[in-house]
Amino acid sequence: MNLDQLSRLCHDGEWRRPAHAAAPSGYAELDANLPGGGWPVGAIAELMPEATGIGELSLLAPVLSRLARAGRYIAWIAPPYLPYAPALAQWQLPLKRLLIIHTRGAQESLWAAEQTLRCPAFGAVLSWPAEIADKNVRRLQLAAEAGGSLGILYRPATAAREHSPAALRLRLRPVADGLAVEIHKCRGGRAGLRLQLSLHALSDTSPADVVAVHPAAATRA
Amino acid sequence: MLWLCIRLPQLAREAFADQHAALERLAGWAYQWSSLISYASDEPLLWLELGASCALFDGHAALLARIEAGLVQLGYSHICALAPSATAAALLTRAPAPRHVLDRMQLRQRLAPLPLQLLALPAETLAALHASGLRRIGQVLELAASAIARRFGPETQSYLQRLCAQASDPRPAWCLPASYLARCEFGSEVRTTTALLFPLQRLLLEFQGYLRARDCSVLRFTLLFEHYRHPISPVSIGLSAAGRDAAQFLTLVRERLHSLVLPAPVSALRLQAHEFTSPSIVQGDLFGSAAQPLQQLQQLLDRLRARLGENSVRALQLHADYRPERGCRLVSPDSSAHPGTPAQPDAARPEAARPCWLLPEPLRIDAPSGLVRGPERIESGWWNQDDVRRDYYLAHTAEGTRLWVFRDRRAGEWYLQGLWA
Repeated sequence: MNLDQLSRLCHDGEWRRPAHAAAPSGYAELDANLPGGGWPVGAIAELMPEATGIGELSLLAPVLSRLARAGRYIAWIAPPYLPYAPALAQWQLPLKRLLIIHTRGAQESLWAAEQTLRCPAFGAVLSWPAEIADKNVRRLQLAAEAGGSLGILYRPATAAREHSPAALRLRLRPVADGLAVEIHKCRGGRAGLRLQLSLHALSDTSPADVVAVHPAAATRA
Repeated sequence: MLWLCIRLPQLAREAFADQHAALERLAGWAYQWSSLISYASDEPLLWLELGASCALFDGHAALLARIEAGLVQLGYSHICALAPSATAAALLTRAPAPRHVLDRMQLRQRLAPLPLQLLALPAETLAALHASGLRRIGQVLELAASAIARRFGPETQSYLQRLCAQASDPRPAWCLPASYLARCEFGSEVRTTTALLFPLQRLLLEFQGYLRARDCSVLRFTLLFEHYRHPISPVSIGLSAAGRDAAQFLTLVRERLHSLVLPAPVSALRLQAHEFTSPSIVQGDLFGSAAQPLQQLQQLLDRLRARLGENSVRALQLHADYRPERGCRLVSPDSSAHPGTPAQPDAARPEAARPCWLLPEPLRIDAPSGLVRGPERIESGWWNQDDVRRDYYLAHTAEGTRLWVFRDRRAGEWYLQGLWA
């Protein structure tokens, strides 16, 4: 390779091409900043929301519904609450592709996550570990590679201080009508970027029969 | 006819009943290769008639290789001999190699140089033959049949005729039992579940052979662990799709053993199956590539259920009810995945936005401050005891969490029911 080729390679950013495929996230701003243009398929992505209920699941609505409509299954390993079917149906998620797996403890959750990630029938596996060791993330990473599925780990915001072998790590913070995403780590991409997304799943389905009210009106009713 | 005789030297050391049980199981296993099976009552010998199935399995050499590979997998040391007569095949298992003889001419040539002692004749007959100056089988076979019958008795003559495939050689044919029951007794008690895996593997391989022979599959089979002075512990293994693959069975059993606590050491192991179904056709495809994703999924679900419990895997279902907590049901994935289930009624899909997390029970809270959207009035259930009159709102907390709250219109109390995650 001569110097010319090398410089072209560096300029085109070819050396940063991701090793894995990507599934479009459904958010153009996010896709533009993720290697391959979307969620890393065959890898683990860690989502670290500041709090529960800020839109951390809705962020995945487009990719999950696309995977499920393509015939792949979505595994929810020990979710903290009941995934509410009417909401998921509004996301255009075919419910028959969703499987909720109940476990009794972190060990079983980890095992179930690894098993489902390894199975090519699954397009995505969602898990909520309270804490997880590096080597276990690596295990899941290998399982995701073998199964070609997207592994999502929801981790507390404090986990951002720790190192993790996950391919992608995002910090999520709430903003008005959307979600602020900070790319904390990104294999084959640039970290440290901050984006603001407006979440379709939150804003698009505004109910017809609901009017904006003041708290005072509520008590009157 | 072409007979394969398998001698299993390691069974000779076992008690008669154990040897018999092992041969019975092996007969069931061997039925996948031949429809005519027999085993000896006093020796660890198993016969298979291969003449009829040779063509089906690409000739006797290929078939023999498969059978021998199977025996190795089962963990049996073995000596195999092929001959046109069952008697000769049994004799050849005790003779040095070569032990494969395909026709009568070859058989006579092969038997001729062998020593007299290999003949399965009474000791006094052998002594009498020896006293007549005969040392090799060939020399005996050269004598006139009538002379042998006169000097050594008609049994000797008929034995030699059967040996050379000149007379019919009837054997009690083994019959395939209608339900499967196999038992394996341990010399010493087994204390750990991992140590059970080796005998289990053999049991399951034999079971697979039986299922192939009958051309059927199972949806459920039972393992029974016998203990000394303790009631039997049964473990039932269920499959979501009928199967007959020993490797698949073993994975399931291993997952079950992982969480199984046995009350006492195991002295014997039984495997039984009573109900059989026709085989599912999805097996290795033309190019021998990996199994279909659906099959893999079913195997995975079986594994998850075996380890995490029968009800650990659930699917979501919409339910037509205006009360939010009744709008969603957890059901067994088999009931929802089947194409036969009726389509979800559209009425069950509410127009208004719904949160993606639902709390198991509405949680009593203080009146929230940051109401953003609402109210959405839900009144339902007045026809039964579960009357609901609520006003639903979307509320934002200071931390930015989006809550789905309602005010009970009868008591005026506020509840949190969901999260817009």
